[in-house]
Amino acid sequence: MSELDEFKATYFDECSELLAELEEQFIAIQEGDHDSDRLNAVFRAIHSIKGGAGAFGFDKLVEFAHSFETMLDFVRDGRVEMSEEVISLCIRSNDLVADFVAAARDGVDLAPDFGAEELAAFKMHAGEDDDEPMEDFDIEFTPVMVQVTDESIVSEAKDDEELPDSFDSAPFQESVPETGEHWHIKLIPFSRLYERANDPLLLFRELPSLGDVQIKATLVDVPLLVDFDPFGVYCTWEITLTSDKASEEDIREVFEFVEGDCELLVERRSVPVEADLVGFAEEKDAEQALEPGEPAELLSQIADLAAEDDKGDETPQSSSDEENVVSFADLAAQIEPTPAPVVQSSAPGKETSSPSPAAQSPAPGKKSGSAPAKSTAIQTIRVDLEKVDRVVNMVGELVITQSMLTQQMDDRLRAQYQELVRGVEVLAQTTRGLQDAVMAIRAQPVKSVFSRMPRLVRELNAKTGKKIRLEMVGEHTEIDKTIIEQLSDPLTHMIRNSADHGVEQPEDRVAAGKSEEGVIQLSAEQAGGNIVIAVEDDGAGINRERVLKLAREKGIVTPDQQLSDEQIDELVFAPGFSTASAVSDISGRGVGMDVVISNIKKIGGSVHVRSSPGKGTRMQLRLPLTLAVLDVMLVEVAGVPYVIPLSSIVETLQCRRAEFGQGPSGRQVLQVRGEYVHVIDLATRFEMKTDVEAHERFVVLCEADGNTKVALMVDQIIGQQQVVIKSLEENFQRIDGIAGGTILGDGNVALIVDVQGLKSPTEQKSAA
Amino acid sequence: MQAFETREEHDPASGNSMQLIAFLIGEQVYGVEITTVREIRAWNGATPLPNTQEYVRGVINLRGTIVPIFDLRARFGDGVTSPTKNHVVVVMSVGEKWVGILVDAVSDILSVSKSEVHPVPEGDNLDSELLNGIVTHDNKMVGLIDLDAIVAGTKTES
Repeated sequence: MSELDEFKATYFDECSELLAELEEQFIAIQEGDHDSDRLNAVFRAIHSIKGGAGAFGFDKLVEFAHSFETMLDFVRDGRVEMSEEVISLCIRSNDLVADFVAAARDGVDLAPDFGAEELAAFKMHAGEDDDEPMEDFDIEFTPVMVQVTDESIVSEAKDDEELPDSFDSAPFQESVPETGEHWHIKLIPFSRLYERANDPLLLFRELPSLGDVQIKATLVDVPLLVDFDPFGVYCTWEITLTSDKASEEDIREVFEFVEGDCELLVERRSVPVEADLVGFAEEKDAEQALEPGEPAELLSQIADLAAEDDKGDETPQSSSDEENVVSFADLAAQIEPTPAPVVQSSAPGKETSSPSPAAQSPAPGKKSGSAPAKSTAIQTIRVDLEKVDRVVNMVGELVITQSMLTQQMDDRLRAQYQELVRGVEVLAQTTRGLQDAVMAIRAQPVKSVFSRMPRLVRELNAKTGKKIRLEMVGEHTEIDKTIIEQLSDPLTHMIRNSADHGVEQPEDRVAAGKSEEGVIQLSAEQAGGNIVIAVEDDGAGINRERVLKLAREKGIVTPDQQLSDEQIDELVFAPGFSTASAVSDISGRGVGMDVVISNIKKIGGSVHVRSSPGKGTRMQLRLPLTLAVLDVMLVEVAGVPYVIPLSSIVETLQCRRAEFGQGPSGRQVLQVRGEYVHVIDLATRFEMKTDVEAHERFVVLCEADGNTKVALMVDQIIGQQQVVIKSLEENFQRIDGIAGGTILGDGNVALIVDVQGLKSPTEQKSAA
Repeated sequence: MQAFETREEHDPASGNSMQLIAFLIGEQVYGVEITTVREIRAWNGATPLPNTQEYVRGVINLRGTIVPIFDLRARFGDGVTSPTKNHVVVVMSVGEKWVGILVDAVSDILSVSKSEVHPVPEGDNLDSELLNGIVTHDNKMVGLIDLDAIVAGTKTES
């Protein structure tokens, strides 16, 4: 991966975080929270996306984000009202920004008119002035400040700009031959210059190679703190270059990189110009003042400059308007807003991200405070997940070793080595603490996956013509990152299913006496050692009659099978089942809901569905808090330890108390509370011989798919414990009937029984 | 035992010669390139894996990683080893994976020239399938184990 690719990868990482934040902010705004902080957060996020896109040359993204930002700026200023229409435009546009980012990331070309409608809408709201092609600026741009030179030189300079350098140079050299030529350079950066991560300082550092340089920053445009836009461009520079060898071309070459991103005036002077430039700042000072992105720092430095500048009476010369000229120290002392400096006059050429200060009215100090406040926020580092996993694994080992040590302590040892015992006890405590801390590193709020769902619902609304509102509850519930990653697909399917099959068309809802708008609630909560995530709709509920009929048609249920309501509800998760009579492109292909089951089972969770006709359906995922540690039942089969995930165990019973019978096909079945359950003898299944008497053995009743049960026969039940799951595939391969391995306290490997996988495909069918 | 790992840096293994770890199955000597060997440990039992071939002896815990153990004798179709504490597991890396092979004993470290490696005579299926070549050392025939072949073909039947 090249360095640039790495930067890009980081940029896209950041983009996905920013987009998630945007989504969140817009949701809050949509719910009526029009707090200016939210808008600022939105603004910042869009701006960051745009900035990075500019650096990588994703022009379409830049263009869109720029227009979006411009409109947001108008909204922030209050020039555009935060109406329903604007909010929905914003939310739509947010989705589009995500698409632009995705297209840039995957190198996909979007249709040329992609987002054109929204672009037009932005322009409608924000006005057309922003829309001038950026390239025109060089010609159209009117400098903010008036040149303080005498008339003749100004006119000479104008000629000079248009004529070849060599043409005019001779007469000037004659006028000041002994000191070389005096060049007056004026640099007025556009905000674009900074967005493309250029730094004027670097350019200025080049200049001394051409001759003697004096640089002065013009700070009169710096507005009051109150009006300060962190991304605004307020600082311009005037440079006097004394050189006997530099041509205009040489000078312009220095500024080549920022061509088009700034207004650059280069003119020749006949006399040294110290007299008409005020408060010459040394290069060092200019350097300090060069950080427009960091307002607080800039302002403090400007204040320093102003304080140092004792020649206050000379200050205003470069300003077009005497009364606007106030040193920053004065400005800062003033509390009530003063007439805005001249920036506004340059509006046609300026990007509106540096809006006219007068139009802004944030709370005093808020803006300038935002940058430092950000740095004091929670600090995070990006760490390769693999590294975290390595720590998690090692902590897992430590836990096992520690419990092994504890097991070794018999009473004699305890009596004999008290210090050692105390040490081991402390170790146990520290280990537990360490384990919790490490798990917390991997834990993330479910928000990261929940936040993708509002967009899904919007798209579904658009496609189905239904009116569905998504409510989210408990999105701050934390759960292991690996589980979160596995949640996206199941949740998408569940919400699609609810939107497509659950919530009715608006007119049907009204007819049923419900409000036109359907509600899907997505909730997360911690319940004991589990996380429960539920998708609940207020739709029509599952049509059990139709479900059963379809299941029989498709052979999922045999004609003579009698199913309870719950069992019928669970059928929606059966493979190959789909109730939608017309296959829509949203759902109805019969894949999806069984994907939900398999994904959730894979991460040790379970799925339940509960439906009440006419009132709605609730689909519930029960997930483990972490994947790293699994609660298991340790059993023994033919002298070999096996573990069975506790989450799938319903109950255990002794064989002598169990009622066995013969199934229709002659297979052994277990009768439990009126239910016949297929029995699998693990010894037979795993091709081992056991000498334990049949009636001394145990039955572990497990829940396989949905509510299908299976009874596993084992020799011995040893007990419950927590284990760390280890992969068999890492060094070997998948083994039929085994979900993985784990290491027991004595250092031996135990295999984890794959309860779902124990049944061969044919058995699965007949058991369902 | 891990000292083996560091030796590769000092030996001119890259040139024409290579170093082998030689081990015994009964009287027969086999060898693997020393650079692939990660660890040699005494047999301490393994957890049997269900529904696998008989030469897959099971898995062991190697500092938190689960490593499968192949019974080399059984792999060569010579019956299953009845391991004792004197038997040895040679842990090696095969590509990304770590595997162990169960042998009777580790006998020696041999330095052989690559030009001395003879192809395996055609005919005996299992030998030509599982060996990369044969070298002669001290008048004894040393079969060079093809690790990929040992590990391959261990798919479960179902």
